[in-house]
Amino acid sequence: MISESVLVELQNILGREDVLTTREILKTYSYDGTSQWTHEPDVVVFPRTAEQVSAIMKLANAHRIPVTPRGGGTNVSGGSIPVLGGIVLCTTKMDKILKVDRENFTATVECGVVLMNFNARLAAEGLFFPPDPQSFLAATIGGIVAENAGGPAGVKYGVTKQYLLGLEVVLPTGEIIQLGGRTVKNVVGYDLTMLFCSSEGTLGVITKAEFKVNAIPPAKKTILAIYDDVAVAGENVSLVLKSGVIPAKIELLDNWLIHRIEEASPLGLSREADAVLIFEVDGMAEAVEKEADKIIEIAKMNGAREVRPARDQDEANRFWMARRAGFAMIFGRAPTVLAEDVTVPRGQIPALIRKCRELSRKYDLEIVVMGHAGDGNLHPSVLTDIKDSQHFARAEKAVEGIIEAALELGGVLSGEHGIGLEKQRFFRRALGPTVTDLMKNIKSLIDPNNIMNPGKIWD
Amino acid sequence: MEDLNELKKIEQYVDQCMKCGFCTFFCPIYQEELVESSVARGKIFLTKQVLKGEQQLSDQAMDIIGKCLLCKACAVNCPAKTQVDRVIVGARAEQVRQQGLPLLKRLIFRHVMANRRLFGWTVKLASKLQWMIPGKQGRMKHLPDFLKALGQGRNIPAISSVLLRDQVQEVNPPRDSKAPRMRVGYFMGCATDFIFPETGLKTIEFLTRHGIEVVVPKAQSCCGAAIYFSGDLETGRMLAYKNMEAFKDVDYVVTTCATCSSSLKDYKVYLPENDRQRKDFEAFSKKIKDVTEFLVDVLDIPPEEFHLRKEFQGKTITWHDPCHLVRYQNIRNQPRRILQALEGSTYVEMPNADRCCGMGGSFSIYHYELTKKIADRKVESVKATAADIVVTACPGCMINLSDHLQRAEMPQQVRHLMDLLE
Repeated sequence: MISESVLVELQNILGREDVLTTREILKTYSYDGTSQWTHEPDVVVFPRTAEQVSAIMKLANAHRIPVTPRGGGTNVSGGSIPVLGGIVLCTTKMDKILKVDRENFTATVECGVVLMNFNARLAAEGLFFPPDPQSFLAATIGGIVAENAGGPAGVKYGVTKQYLLGLEVVLPTGEIIQLGGRTVKNVVGYDLTMLFCSSEGTLGVITKAEFKVNAIPPAKKTILAIYDDVAVAGENVSLVLKSGVIPAKIELLDNWLIHRIEEASPLGLSREADAVLIFEVDGMAEAVEKEADKIIEIAKMNGAREVRPARDQDEANRFWMARRAGFAMIFGRAPTVLAEDVTVPRGQIPALIRKCRELSRKYDLEIVVMGHAGDGNLHPSVLTDIKDSQHFARAEKAVEGIIEAALELGGVLSGEHGIGLEKQRFFRRALGPTVTDLMKNIKSLIDPNNIMNPGKIWD
Repeated sequence: MEDLNELKKIEQYVDQCMKCGFCTFFCPIYQEELVESSVARGKIFLTKQVLKGEQQLSDQAMDIIGKCLLCKACAVNCPAKTQVDRVIVGARAEQVRQQGLPLLKRLIFRHVMANRRLFGWTVKLASKLQWMIPGKQGRMKHLPDFLKALGQGRNIPAISSVLLRDQVQEVNPPRDSKAPRMRVGYFMGCATDFIFPETGLKTIEFLTRHGIEVVVPKAQSCCGAAIYFSGDLETGRMLAYKNMEAFKDVDYVVTTCATCSSSLKDYKVYLPENDRQRKDFEAFSKKIKDVTEFLVDVLDIPPEEFHLRKEFQGKTITWHDPCHLVRYQNIRNQPRRILQALEGSTYVEMPNADRCCGMGGSFSIYHYELTKKIADRKVESVKATAADIVVTACPGCMINLSDHLQRAEMPQQVRHLMDLLE
């Protein structure tokens, strides 16, 4: 519990309206996008400047109070849940887009800016920020950097770190530091900017970010290809990439999702089909035409049951809508969903999918597979119910199996969701004791009193 | 633990939420406050806690859950299709069940609004007393809203000196004296009856000129929206049966109030207690048509047969989508089709035309400061069009838009779509 005097000090820093302690309001800060964990904070604060964040951190550090940073609360690994109580530092009121520099293709934004609003502003200048986490309607910049968010565009455009030039960070001890700069090239000592990217809020509060942004490509095209065998779909991904075409997105949906799509808003997909790939190519109009033709040719020549280029933008939107609705369909079908985020080298996608099916049979569970086939980042989702302890235990076993398989195939624990609470128990196994301890030492150097989002990443 | 009867009925909708947080992007209240307790995800989480017995349905909890415009922007954009409106109404109904209605609401809902004649007298009495309130420059006079908007500096429209009910015949035959194409009931709604009677008169005239017999039953009542959306489902059902009885002998029930048309259609959604009621409400729902939808979808009037009244010649017009039309009834194209067909005026689409104006019925009484902020965004949208006239089809929106345009010292008039038609 936080003492009355600390609350008064917080009110002195922020004003009364930005310090919330009503029990019912605290409950609305006890969760994120996951379904397993909740924990209430003792207080929620809404700073508006880095100086206010600094004052909060100094106060929290002096009193050893845990601080959990939170933006839109969209993360799906438990990262913004205040598992030890204390302060939730909510950044939603630091929501200014400070600068869009068309000449230098850079933008400066505060941490509470919602990605959709950032992109709307960039679009007015003919620019865009390529990483596209599917929570873009609500996810904020601070979390996007802290989780190193990705999305479907990863195959061509990479993830957040590829666009991160500089940061303003408030350390757990209260100092405000500037890292990186505004240039693409920058080799001046250790790359501490990247240390904070994917730090999951455990090293400090990101208050401002400097990004590289791109010009919006003038043309794009969507192609949907249907396969009788998911392994053939996987091979098609490799063949397309080997041909020299780099699509902006290559998304995969499995048979379970094909059924749900046909029930909800039919695209006329055969229910016997094993998998669907949705490709998007973008760039100069002439190049887009040629690249689209190449993909169609490869798919037709190499086992696709049907290839359907979108006739117009409307149809393309319908294809992408079906993909975006994927998670909603999955979450709508089970009380609890364990949404995995493992990533394997691209060639191993068929092997990972086969493994998921094997586990599904072994534990008698539904495991739905969709994801970013183009970059090897898959989201196998295990449908379960946390209230049914036997079923849930089998689901957790299946998740373990998926993770073990991914690691054996040369992959990683998480592609874009982060470790948070969700994958703590696998962390040491995945990285080994030396690297884990090195990370812990870095953490205690920057956060000597372990107040910054404690209880996350490792046990 | 309470038995939570009303809340249990909406548990399935509570369970739909997967906590993705997309509602934050669409919620007009969250966009002003940026606090999780303002948005559907927070309200639904709290409701879930109540259902689990981990939270009382305390006044504090209801202040959070109940603070909603019911604009449905979250619900229609929810990837999990969570029916947030049903959760909010269910929670309010549970509160009414546990605590009863507060005295003022009980008096207004059950004794004034539910009694058509008494409601009319009350309003007439208020209109007689208007002169006591100092007038304000502008198109409207200040009037103390008998509901309790007193002292908030709000521009409230004057109550008509003669109510619509006292100006219309119960049966209005087609103008051409031929056999009627169909027999249509006109549902006035309280705001049209008391504040905008001319919209009602013009509508009846328009319909009778199109070969329709228009019946305006004296026995019709308030639609009940303000009452059942506040959780008083019992009075809502009573009104539903009064209205169904009043309109039992017509082919269609047409109204010029978006809130009325949606709430009459949606008795079947919010009110049924058993299968018999569900069947009754479903049958009634099929007869209800908003006037915009009736002209375009039922009468199928060709564009060249819509004519602009003289006073609007040469004006630029824009359209505001009422929540109760665009999201509750999915009526988006029909009004635009009519407005774009009007020769002599220029139609301009406003940015974010379907964003809530901030009225939310009694929401604007309890949270007027928030209503102002939300309405200011609408005022900005109107400004961007440089239109002369803001057209809509909901008296609630008309009252609110007029208030805030006037507050911003903007020159635009606010008119009902039927006011424009010859």
